[in-house]
Amino acid sequence: MKKNNSVLLSTPYLIWMVAFTLIPLCVVGFYALTDPATGKFTFDNLKNLDAYLPVFWQSVAYSVVSAFICLLMGYPVAYFIAHQKPVAQKFLYMLVMLPMCMSFLLRTLAWVGLLQDTGIINTFLGRLGIGPISMIRTPGAVVLGMVYNYLPYMILPLYSTLVKIDHRLVEAAEDLGCNGAKVFSKVIFPLSLPGIVTGITMVFVPAVSTFYISQKLGGTETVLIGDVIERQFKQGNNPNLGAALSLVLMLLVFVCTGIMNRFAGDDEEGGVIV
Amino acid sequence: MKRANRLITILIFIFLYIPMAVLIVASFNTGKDIAHFESFTWNRYIELFQDDGLLNLLANSLIVAVLSTSIATVFGTVAAVGIHNLKPRMRKIAMTLTNIPMTNPDIVTGVSLSLLFVFVGTRMLGQRDSLTFWTLLIAHITFSLPYVVLNVMPKLHQMDNSLVDAAMDLGCTPMQSFFKVTIHEIMPGIVTGAIMAFTMSLDDFVISYFVSGLDFTTLPVEIYSYTKKPIQPKVYAMFTLMFLLIFLLMVISNLLQLGGEQRKTRSRGAASERSAGRIVKIAVAGAAALAIVVGCAIFIGNNGAEPPVVSEYTMTELPAGPEESVTINVYNWGQYIADGSDDSLDIIAAFEEAYPNIKVNYSTYDSNEIMYSKLANGGITVDVIIPSDYMIARLISENMLLELNFDNIPNYQYIDETFRNTSFDPENKYSVPYTWGTVGIIYNSKYVDEADVTGWELLWNEKYTDKILMFGNSRDAFGITQYMLGYDVNTTDEGELTECAQYLMEQKPVLQQYVMDEIFGIMQNEEAWIAPYYAGDYLTMAEENPALSFYLPEHQGFNLFIDSICIPSCAKEKEAAELFINFLCDPKISAANMEWVCYSTPISEAKQFLDPEVAESEISYPAAEKLIKASSYAFLNPETTRTVEAMFMEVRNSR
Repeated sequence: MKKNNSVLLSTPYLIWMVAFTLIPLCVVGFYALTDPATGKFTFDNLKNLDAYLPVFWQSVAYSVVSAFICLLMGYPVAYFIAHQKPVAQKFLYMLVMLPMCMSFLLRTLAWVGLLQDTGIINTFLGRLGIGPISMIRTPGAVVLGMVYNYLPYMILPLYSTLVKIDHRLVEAAEDLGCNGAKVFSKVIFPLSLPGIVTGITMVFVPAVSTFYISQKLGGTETVLIGDVIERQFKQGNNPNLGAALSLVLMLLVFVCTGIMNRFAGDDEEGGVIV
Repeated sequence: MKRANRLITILIFIFLYIPMAVLIVASFNTGKDIAHFESFTWNRYIELFQDDGLLNLLANSLIVAVLSTSIATVFGTVAAVGIHNLKPRMRKIAMTLTNIPMTNPDIVTGVSLSLLFVFVGTRMLGQRDSLTFWTLLIAHITFSLPYVVLNVMPKLHQMDNSLVDAAMDLGCTPMQSFFKVTIHEIMPGIVTGAIMAFTMSLDDFVISYFVSGLDFTTLPVEIYSYTKKPIQPKVYAMFTLMFLLIFLLMVISNLLQLGGEQRKTRSRGAASERSAGRIVKIAVAGAAALAIVVGCAIFIGNNGAEPPVVSEYTMTELPAGPEESVTINVYNWGQYIADGSDDSLDIIAAFEEAYPNIKVNYSTYDSNEIMYSKLANGGITVDVIIPSDYMIARLISENMLLELNFDNIPNYQYIDETFRNTSFDPENKYSVPYTWGTVGIIYNSKYVDEADVTGWELLWNEKYTDKILMFGNSRDAFGITQYMLGYDVNTTDEGELTECAQYLMEQKPVLQQYVMDEIFGIMQNEEAWIAPYYAGDYLTMAEENPALSFYLPEHQGFNLFIDSICIPSCAKEKEAAELFINFLCDPKISAANMEWVCYSTPISEAKQFLDPEVAESEISYPAAEKLIKASSYAFLNPETTRTVEAMFMEVRNSR
């Protein structure tokens, strides 16, 4: 196809993306730099952000922990699926996809019903004579909520890379005298690194910015950055501070994913996705 | 090793599916509590199909998902072909742009788009409702596009370019070669991209939550507000049906793919064919079962609903309605209008019956501050709101309310003298009282020692750590502290306010959580034992759990509030809104409404229609000597209000 045609085909798209992704971010920047009361230019919103530093740290810590638990749990599953017969692979892949299509709000709410002091697990334990264990409103519950919700985002990219690994490489390693553990550490693991990076990114990004999971499963102390942003917009009536926080969150995510992608080596465009 | 791996996989699948099993079981439960199964029922499914609101929301979600996916698929595929042929530098720029919404957290995308729409729509173009169906659609297209582009691009890379060249050599125009060759090669990428865009759009909550206005919302956004209120079990029924539907769709699409592959490689063993055959059988059986359930439910649903007969429910003659059909947006507190459940009168249905030309679009908030933020952020149209006293004064002072035309509200005559010429609306220009009530402490007498119930300090009592709830809005939270410390609740003294904030900070370790409408379920199932809340809601909770008691700290003082109906300045249908207000003030309607809401009516005439037990309740209508130390909140001033809100945000956001 001729070059000028390609410009013609791609320009509307570029205009759309500039209008609805870049410009909105500029508007966020504009709000972040104006005073909520007077509407004048100010750096106050950004200056006041250091008060939220602990909240940022907490969010990052929770989501990093969740991402690694997801990796530990997701790897065996992805590996198992990748070594089934094609029909079974398809079916298992579908079973992993299915929860992603169901309302995550309700699924998280189900965890409240399971974990709370008067919930299903504690009622069951009570019958066995074990006193109520407080599970909900702990940091563990928030991490559990994150792991539960975002585990499929880890399994699917891992599976995609694992299934593509050429089995002859594994056989070659075995022929050359590697035992199971060595084959894994020398061949399989390095080859699955792109999937690991994608998986961690896909868990980390939604986890670091969530507000529903911490609202429902967290206590008064588990405040995440998503909560704070949501509250500033929806009840604090301070969109300017909310905008400043969003801006910092965005930078944080870009830096983190940038670092992650360095690990994977420069991936081809569009290497993402399941 | 392999066996261990299999075991881990099985356990993780159980982990993934248990919560969904819980929801599915809950859809057959006669009780409302998800954690306690009482007995089996199909009724939730019948209720679901009687609820037009819920089905409309589902339709909204589907409309947005289908439209945004089809537009994004075509647009994205065309763009991908274009980008593929761009010069490398331009291509890099294009891919960076594509990756922004992919790596940006949803909340940032949502916030940025909503700020853009309000900024352009309201500030630059001066439109009142800039958050509409169209902006929601734009948002969905925007976050769907990258999925299509990123799935089509790799297929374009893989494609053998000589095929296109061959087609051109054989006389195809570029257009023809695209439709005859390229599109077939990249089809798998298009399909995957479209499927991903569709599921993302259908299940998107965060972006829609920030971008949608009140006129048009999708199912997940509404489910979010459902999960704040005591959730209605029919939502679980909907979940179950959607689960079955998606499961079936996935199985069928898998089988189709499988069939396609088998046609290609027919020789490959009968084993997979047999298992495929088994899956087909399961799928067909499932589909049949689903069809039967849905069919029965629709049949029963259509037979069950009876329209209310208006004349029986109103005492007064209603003024004539508009000639042309209009829609009013009513924005009210959660659990604050009788909705037809528990044998109550469905007030909105009755109103729509009385005025067939007026359609009510109803949505809820759970504190004055949330309502205010929504109005102040702009971008929406609201015709009726029901704020409390101090918030009304604030809205008046900021020119955010319209003066009412009382010719359209003849039923104003029934409002008691005591509720006229109030401090917040001294000339009766902007508001019509809806309910009034007190704020006290609700506690569970099974667990809380009566000796500890001495005043507001009960909410700080370490003995009940993790069993105490607190108001999730600034005014009520500060008010309680001020009553406890003996300060004026309408103080503007910064020192006193800072001290209150400190007390609230000290309270955090003993608190279980901050709540608004979530309180109902938590107190009823005894997850928490102590909470400050509104007297009317106590009565609702006590109906479900008789162990709950109510205490008014008479010696320290407490809040006496009036919630009134107002029309905000962003209203579009003022006259229809006034007819709605008038309808609510009909004594018979007010009685039917209060019977369910359990708050106190400002219309004495209505009491004759109330259950005598309710009308003489000490809690709804406390004797005058109990009210000596009661006071109401006033609007402080913009500066102090902002300070209090910021202080409260700080209390909540600190860890």
